[in-house]
Amino acid sequence: MTANPHLDATVVETRRLDLLRRIADSGGAISPVAEPQAKHGYQYVAPAGDVANDLAVLARQNYLEARFFDKVSLCPKCDGCHLNVREICPSCRSAHLASEGLFHHFRCGYVGIPPEFTPEADGGYRCPKCNHTMHHLGTEYDRLGKAFVCRGCGLVSETPPVEAICLSCGARTPAENLVSTVAFSYLITSRGAEAVRRGRLFGDDDEPVRVADAAVYRRTVILEFLLHQMKRLLQLNEPFSVMLVRWAPGETAAHDGGEPAKWLTRLKGCLRDVDLIGQLADVLYVAVLPHARSRDAETLRRRIETELGPRSPLSLSVVEIKERKDLAGVLAGLAGRGEPE
Amino acid sequence: MNGFLHYFLSALDPMSNLGFSRAFPKLMTSALPSWWFEVVLPVALVVLPAVIVWLAYVVKPALVRPPPLARPRQAEPLVSVVTAGRNESATIGQCIRGALLCGYSNLEFIFVDDNSTDDSVAIARRAALSVTRSRHDTERVRIFPSPRRNGKASSLNIGIRMARGEFIVIHDADSIIQYGAVQHWLLPFTDPRVGGVAANIRVDNSTVNLLTRLQEVEYAMKFTLAKFFQSKISVMDIISGMGGIFRGEIIRRLGGFDTGLGDDRDLSTMLLKQRFKLAFSNDAVVWTTVPETRYHLWRQRMRWRRNIIKIRISKHRDMFLLGRYGFANAVIAMQLAVRLLIPVTLLIGLFWAFYQHGLEGAPEVVLTFYWILVMFLLVRILVARDVASTPKLVNFPLIFLYPFYVLWLEMPNIYAEWSELFRIGAKHHYVPDHIWEEIPWW
Ligand SMILES: [Zn+2]
Ligand SMILES: [Zn+2]
Ligand SMILES: [Zn+2]
Repeated sequence: MTANPHLDATVVETRRLDLLRRIADSGGAISPVAEPQAKHGYQYVAPAGDVANDLAVLARQNYLEARFFDKVSLCPKCDGCHLNVREICPSCRSAHLASEGLFHHFRCGYVGIPPEFTPEADGGYRCPKCNHTMHHLGTEYDRLGKAFVCRGCGLVSETPPVEAICLSCGARTPAENLVSTVAFSYLITSRGAEAVRRGRLFGDDDEPVRVADAAVYRRTVILEFLLHQMKRLLQLNEPFSVMLVRWAPGETAAHDGGEPAKWLTRLKGCLRDVDLIGQLADVLYVAVLPHARSRDAETLRRRIETELGPRSPLSLSVVEIKERKDLAGVLAGLAGRGEPE
Repeated sequence: MNGFLHYFLSALDPMSNLGFSRAFPKLMTSALPSWWFEVVLPVALVVLPAVIVWLAYVVKPALVRPPPLARPRQAEPLVSVVTAGRNESATIGQCIRGALLCGYSNLEFIFVDDNSTDDSVAIARRAALSVTRSRHDTERVRIFPSPRRNGKASSLNIGIRMARGEFIVIHDADSIIQYGAVQHWLLPFTDPRVGGVAANIRVDNSTVNLLTRLQEVEYAMKFTLAKFFQSKISVMDIISGMGGIFRGEIIRRLGGFDTGLGDDRDLSTMLLKQRFKLAFSNDAVVWTTVPETRYHLWRQRMRWRRNIIKIRISKHRDMFLLGRYGFANAVIAMQLAVRLLIPVTLLIGLFWAFYQHGLEGAPEVVLTFYWILVMFLLVRILVARDVASTPKLVNFPLIFLYPFYVLWLEMPNIYAEWSELFRIGAKHHYVPDHIWEEIPWW
């Protein structure tokens, strides 16, 4: 890391703003273009930096809207996209398959692959079973659908399995076991256009009261509420507790953990109307529970945990605030963690 | 004739049994033709084999029902189960599951869908997936949806072309292979002269109604009991299409089925012509769904009978040349001639009896005849029950109805025979036009 994180942040911000401006200038959209050398087969045309990451960050901050562009299959072993996908013989796993319509001779009922039938000088074929020549497709013989004949072992199969061989690492993977990633194209949003017009990305002060698409208050708002609650405790002797909610998708929940917004909405469904929830840091949220003693808060916590189920990526803890240093302790404990983007 | 019947009835009566020995010579001279046609011949043809099988089973069970080999752990040969069907969505799922879960690991299943209009293919794929549990494990189950209707023979040929097994099972979509059957099915192949092995066809839906119960009794006699004896003296003439396993190399060398019928009988005959033996395995049980209504049963029987005539009279008539394909085949030819003649002689016999005795003697004639048949049946059903555990005990009383059932089934049979012999409606509705026009056999 370089010495001055502030300078770095500025550089990154400028770069992202440049990218945003570039998108706005070129019609408000950016799509990936195929590039064999790129890691996942697609890349975005832009001057510098980790464009894909910048775009993803900008999309997360609502400057851009991500739209599905294409799915890229990847080798599960080396994450490479250079795959040779082909049908293989289900028996000997050779890729040396020929797709042929089986010949079916009506006269004797013989069914065989075309090479078994000897071509005749007059354009017909000689049937290996009854030794008659067949001339007319449709009245004397027929081609039966598409079948794959293995040149290695002779197996005839109708739907051979598909396998991918990785050109980078040589791993063989059945098609259904390939992993995949999605390539997005991005559209500029009104917020993005506004940022370009103003010449800077939005800071904390510019943010609305709630965090985008999750119904939680953003940091400054929830801190304000906390202080207010603190005052009520000290002056009116109104007790209150806080519940700390940490977004911690584990190894197992990573796949279906989904958006934090989804889980936060579920969590919010378990709270009372008078409870408030807001974002303290990147992966840390706090719920303010007025008039709740520690026992009430603990009951609530347990009820929420049952409600969300064992796969919940949210870890919860509750503290009753009794005096000023309690709240300070809670907030201080957070300081080191969850550096916001 | 009248004298014979009196004597015969008295012979049935235990009180006058002692008189039987004195009556016997007189009986022989007084009613010779009837005696032979109604008692001696049926006993020799039908009851005696059953009794012999039973005696053998009592003395040495392994002779009739060989136990599975306690063989050294050699690799199980690959068995391909080939099924062709059209609009079989109701049963194809359980058929696939049954075959793949039958306790034989080295088995592949091939289903050729003959251009169904229902969702057979989707159901088959789902069933396959439910058993193999993996989308790319297409090696064990392969499904070929045919883009055009080809008839059963060609559809089976597609399946045979796709099959890789050392042994190929020709299977019906409405039948289910019983757990453990395949191991028993392969046993007779230790004899290199055996080209195909018939399974023991049992009726899956026997409790549906009277008709299916009667069919269970019939299958126990025809497909189970009769085959014990036939296979032992090498006169088995057919491996039923509901369950037969063949050496793959033979089927491939023959180029599969011939067009038109998709008939098990045709393939069996071709095997016999190549001097392969056909065998039977009682413990290779295949459960089949039999027709449940009169209409469907008659249609099935007419189809079978027409196929017999087409194949015997038109395509493989050289099987009747005595000794041409070996002794056993000549026996089969004679056996078939007898079988075709039986309904006709029955009718003639009945008319003759009526003519001899007038109407007042008719009830007696018919009644006697009936009791003779029931007695024969009782012997056979007891043997079948002891040797092969079929039919169910509750179906035993049906032997009183059984003679009527057989007589009633002769109606579609006779109709099929005559229309086939005079080539009325010779074309089969289940063979597509474009194939029918190219078939050279008839
Ligand atoms: Zn041919
Ligand atoms: Zn192969
Ligand atoms: Zn790789």
